[in-house]
This record gives sequence, structure tokens and C-alpha cells, in this order.
Amino acid sequence: MPRVIVLLAAAAILVAAGWLIRDFIRDPVATPIADFSAPFVFGRFAVPPDNPLTQEGFALGRHLFYDPILSANNEVSCATCHIQAMAFTDGRSRSPALSGGELEFSAMSLVNLLWGQERFFWDGRATSLEEQALMPIQHPEEMGQDIDVLVAELSSSSSYRRMFRRAYGEVSADNIARALASFMRMLISDNSKYDKYLRGEVRLNAQEEHGRKLFMAHPDTKVSLRGGNCIDCHSQFLTSGFRDALDGFSNNGLDPEDTLAPGLMAVTGNPAHKGFFKVPTLRNIAVTAPYMHDGRFETLRDVMNHYNDGIVVSDTLSPLILEADNAPDTPSDTVGLRMTPEEIDAIIAFLHTLTDEVFLTDPAFSNPFEGGS
Amino acid sequence: MSRLQAMSGFGLLVLLAIGWIVFVPGPKRTTDVTVTLRATMNGAPLTFDQFMYDNPAGPGAFRVRDFRFYLSNLVLTSGDEEFVEPDSYYLARFDNADRSYVITLSDVPLRRIEGLRFLIGVDPDANGSILARGDLDPNSQMAWNWEVGYKFVLFEGALDVDGAISPLVYHVGFSENAREVSVLVPADMTRAGETQINLDVDLAKLFDNAALIDMQALPTVKFDRTDARMLADNYADMISASY
Repeated sequence: MPRVIVLLAAAAILVAAGWLIRDFIRDPVATPIADFSAPFVFGRFAVPPDNPLTQEGFALGRHLFYDPILSANNEVSCATCHIQAMAFTDGRSRSPALSGGELEFSAMSLVNLLWGQERFFWDGRATSLEEQALMPIQHPEEMGQDIDVLVAELSSSSSYRRMFRRAYGEVSADNIARALASFMRMLISDNSKYDKYLRGEVRLNAQEEHGRKLFMAHPDTKVSLRGGNCIDCHSQFLTSGFRDALDGFSNNGLDPEDTLAPGLMAVTGNPAHKGFFKVPTLRNIAVTAPYMHDGRFETLRDVMNHYNDGIVVSDTLSPLILEADNAPDTPSDTVGLRMTPEEIDAIIAFLHTLTDEVFLTDPAFSNPFEGGS
Repeated sequence: MSRLQAMSGFGLLVLLAIGWIVFVPGPKRTTDVTVTLRATMNGAPLTFDQFMYDNPAGPGAFRVRDFRFYLSNLVLTSGDEEFVEPDSYYLARFDNADRSYVITLSDVPLRRIEGLRFLIGVDPDANGSILARGDLDPNSQMAWNWEVGYKFVLFEGALDVDGAISPLVYHVGFSENAREVSVLVPADMTRAGETQINLDVDLAKLFDNAALIDMQALPTVKFDRTDARMLADNYADMISASY
């Protein structure tokens, strides 16, 4: 009888060892993500051929996104500054820097990144999400991590080794970037009231509908058309900046010539791009305060006041902003849209229809280390 | 030579002839077409972002920040034959080093190309749709909104009158303002199954044509139908063949 037990145990050990060896030597078995959907009004999108969307890549990316192991001091994860409930922003004007003080820019919302501009960061310095993903990790003031050290750390974790193996093969910087990019690409928000309105499921109330019309209109007093001019920079369905070339970057009149930040000019070297910043998506904008690349405005009303009478003129200011005026024949010392308080309220009401509670609470995008994996 | 040998030789020749007819290609029946549009102002390549162009009918000088337009419904002709390029919606933009926009069409089923026609603008059907076709993108800078349709021709810039800078915004749309352009293609532009068509896009015509525009008096055109039609009549012949 004991002999039988020993034989069975030996057989079990062999099977287990075989399984482990098989798991170790086989190629990645990544499962394509084929069943996600997005509204057709978002338009076409492209996923890099060398980083197809897979369940395993997404799962790995989600773990990496929430794991402070990515930072040198093992205290900062991507999610430190990109919090789901705030549409992956952090509620601060500018996030804290590792050495004290603040970073240069406000943390950007991460949503619907499959569409809109194909440049990332406020100044457009990354031309793919894969390139973007590794930059905060290595930035000395953000996560301060040496990428080779991170690869070694992740390689020493059996669970990460397994996840990388299943998704891509080896643990490497490129595969860290692929995984994080895959996770970010799947952060799709398409269940706001505005989406339901576009699908014909709900109606906007009178104020929201008024705001929608103002949002979509460039004012033209010659034909008595009043407008908030939002659509000249924020596309009508995505509400992000435009995709093509550098169309999704603009100078929106925040600062005078002498203090105007370089913005996109720092990347392109073109003086015509001075003060240009990435036009952000307005999806979930009501939960992503404060606003602008440096978080200078606390509330949506502050933002509307800026566009209404606080535009600061500089040489590269968008002519569409400078020209958009609902009362051009009325003398004024200020530059702006000059809408009525009711019109401003209406636009703010419309902006609130862009909040997507399903997205903000979707367990698939939550922290997997808190029992959600 | 025996009779049998002679017959074999003859048979071989027949086979070779048949093989020649079957396997050696005849003259190519399709044409690869390249259409190159170059943006110019008064005969010289367009320069962006410099106050170097005179206000055509008023004081000051203007600069161009952005100029682009939709070119659609492309048709190539050869005698009575024509080839309609399906879903041809191109956004011609010129913010590159040589101020050009290139359309390439492979294997157009015409042996030679004698003519080309297209719309500046978008046909009413596509203009009233939010489907992405070709370069039509309802989330792009060229979309006004889904209730109005697309801007067909977009010009943005600024006017400098004695140091006072003011914005210039000319957005021309509405289905009635699509204009058909037709050009003849000389025979010598087709060689070895490839046709090169060069088109000159003279931006000056937008303001200095049938209607002469004083940019100070009319710094913006958007939704006023009369103004829009006036600029459409101006841009109707801004594109011409250049050989």
C-alpha cells in the first residue's frame, strides 16, 4: 500500500513538473480582445500591429498600473496620480514631485485614448502610448525608476514572470510599455448621458440641450447665431482635440507673450507652436478639476469665465478664439465670448452630461490588488 | 528533313506562337495615377505665418495660419470612358515642406488618362452624414457639427494694419457651395502606364477673383449664405492644371 502511495505521489510530482515546464517553455498564449465595442461616432481607431490588444496584456497592464513597484522608492504607482474616480486625474493643480514641490503639468485624464490626438502629454512629447508609458516611470521627479532595475525587480517576481510570459514572453522594458499601453487603450468611456442621448436612449433637459447647441456653435452675429465655440477645439462626439497631425494642439489665451510657456514649440521647434497645449477630452470633465495644463482654474465656471472675458492675447493665440464674440459691436476692454450668465450655466450643464459613472466605477479598471483581479 | 520532322517543327512553332499570345503581356490596360496639388499664392509657393501678402482690396498685410479644403468625387476620364474613384474624400492640406498634397491611385482601369474632374467640397449625401468615409471625419477640425455638415474650404490667419493684428476666419461650407473642377490631361503626361497630374492651387483666387475681398471689411465668413457663396464662386477656379 505505501508503495502505491509513493508511486502516485511520484506520478503527481511528474505531472506537476511537466505542467510547470510546459507553462515555462511554451509561447505566449495571449487571447485577443475581440469583443469590446465603442460608439461608431467615435470613428476609426488603430492599434499598433506589434501590440495587439489581448486579455493577458490588459491584465498585466492593469497590475503594473496599480503597482508602486514601478517607482524607485516603491511608493508611487501610475494610479497615484491617475485615480479612477476622477477619470484618472488626481484632483491637484500639479502632482507632487519626488524631491518636493510640484511637477510642471497637471495629471491628464486617461480616457478614450484610442481616438483623438496621437501625441501624448500636454506638450505632445510622446508619439505613442507605448512611448508615453515609460516616460513617467523614468522621470526623476515622477517615479524616478531605472528601467533596467525595474525589469530585474519584475523578473524576480514569479507572478509577474508568469503574467509577462503569457502576454508577451519575456520581462522587458518594451513589454512593460506594451502592457501599460494596452490597459490605457481599453479605458473607454461611452456611457455618459450624452452618449445615451446620441444613442437615442434619453433626452437632454432644456438647459442641457441649450448648452449642447452652444457647445457646437461658433458664434456668428451676422446670422444671429450664438455660440460657446467649444467645438472649434473639442470634437463633437469625442470632445477631445482633433486627431490629424498637430490639429489637436492650441493656444487658448492663458498667458501674455512674455510669460507664454513653450508648450508644443518645445517639441517641434516651430515658433508658431509657442503656447500650444494638447486640447484635452471633456469626457468626465466635471470630476477632473482643476483645469488647464497647470491646473490654474478650480472650477468649470472659472474656465467659462476665462473664455467669456478673460482671453489673453498673444501672437499664436487661436484666431478662432480671438474672433469668437457674441457681441462684437459692443465695446469692451476684455476679449472673449461675451455670453450671458444663463448661457454659461447651460454649457456647464451640458458638460455635466459627459460624466460617465459606469466608467468611473468599472471594476475592470480598478485596483487589482484590492481584491478586484 | 523528313516529313515527320517538318511537321514537328511546324507544331513547335504553332505552340510557341500560342504561348506568346497567351503569356506575353500586351500593353498595360490600367494606369497608375498621381495627382499632386501645390498651394501657391500669386504664382509662388505658399508661405505660412508671415505677414507677407497684401490685403487685396484694403489696407494692411495678411498671414496664413491654416489653409485646407476637401476634394471629393474624383473621376478620371478617357474619351467616353470614365472611372469613378469610390469613396474619394480627400482633405488637401499643405503644412509640409513643399506645400503639396498628393493623391495616388493604383491600377485605374483606363489605358490612358485624358481628363480629371472632382468637387471642391463634399456632395450633399456625404455632407449630411456622420459616417467616416475617406478623410471625412465628424470628429475633425473640418466638421462644423452634425446638423450643419463640413467646412469645405478653411482659411485662418491674421491681418496686420499698421501694427493692429486682427483675426481672419473664412470657413466655407453648405452643400450648395461645392464646386466642380475639370482639367484636361495632355497625352504626354502618361508614360508606361503612369500618369502624373500636377495641379496648382492658387490661394489668392479665394480673395481676388470675381469678388475682390477687403479683409478689413470682411474679416470672417462662416454661416452667412451670401458671403459663403461669394467665396465659393471665387474658389471655383482656384485649381488649374500646371505643366
